[in-house]
Amino acid sequence: MERTSVKVVIAGGFGAGKTTMVGSVSEIPPLTTEEVMTEASVGVDDLAGLEEKHQTTVALDFGRITINSEVVLYLFGTPGQDRFWFMWDELAQGCVGAVVLVDTRRLPASFASIDYFERRGIPFVVAVNTFFGECSYTDDEIRAALQLNGEVPLARCDARRRGSAVEVLIGLLQHVLAKLPAPAGP
Amino acid sequence: MAGREPGEARDESDRLVPLYVLVNGRTTPRNAALDLATQVVALPADTTVLEPEYQQILRQCREWMSIAEISAYLGRPLTVVKVLVDILLEQDYLALGSAAQQTVYDRALLETLLCGLQRL
Repeated sequence: MERTSVKVVIAGGFGAGKTTMVGSVSEIPPLTTEEVMTEASVGVDDLAGLEEKHQTTVALDFGRITINSEVVLYLFGTPGQDRFWFMWDELAQGCVGAVVLVDTRRLPASFASIDYFERRGIPFVVAVNTFFGECSYTDDEIRAALQLNGEVPLARCDARRRGSAVEVLIGLLQHVLAKLPAPAGP
Repeated sequence: MAGREPGEARDESDRLVPLYVLVNGRTTPRNAALDLATQVVALPADTTVLEPEYQQILRQCREWMSIAEISAYLGRPLTVVKVLVDILLEQDYLALGSAAQQTVYDRALLETLLCGLQRL
């Protein structure tokens, strides 16, 4: 019996709709898991007995889509706060690709995510979440504002709607496949 | 996160044995490929000799399950669950699925994923 898991990372600035998107596509109610980080370097001069102060808990929301009996897709939302970058490496390790959700009212909030995936060569798509109402910017304006590489797909979605969120994932898979080297021979 | 703020320490006061004793002082899994999406499943075995924490995990894994799900269902941090799973794998209580890391350049797998999503 074989069983393979695949990860997709849902990133974006704080409040861009990551948890909403994970929830709308997941076949199970979204789950939350926690990673405990011990900040050994912080507060070393503190009095003994305050050890608990040195632990930070990072919550991760995730969901699941069972593709078939052998393949299951996990969607992990990145922690919202920038100080949890250490967690991104674990999420991104071996992931198929990422979705960067963008709220056009707060474009700069997505710079860090885009930069992260670009630097590591992880394929990603940008999805403008229209949940917040009509977006008055054109795709070109958004691309320019985000300084997006021309090959990065840009989509619009309503992260609350399953069909819309699934379309974004389909776009990501198509992008990842297009970036693969051509198959050798027939 | 219900009822607990991010950053607030988990209450471990209900534990009989400190976790670091349970995992024999192991702080990181020996199998470095263990990922939060890695799938495991319980193998048939007599589990009565195991500590309750291990038994809890094995009960969760009657079907294939990711380490992240085990962590969420049991309310234990990922780091701890990874080490516990690592030990159960070594002792053949659990079987291991394919590591997510190996799948990225697998065209057939990506096409399976794409078809699966298009069917939703």
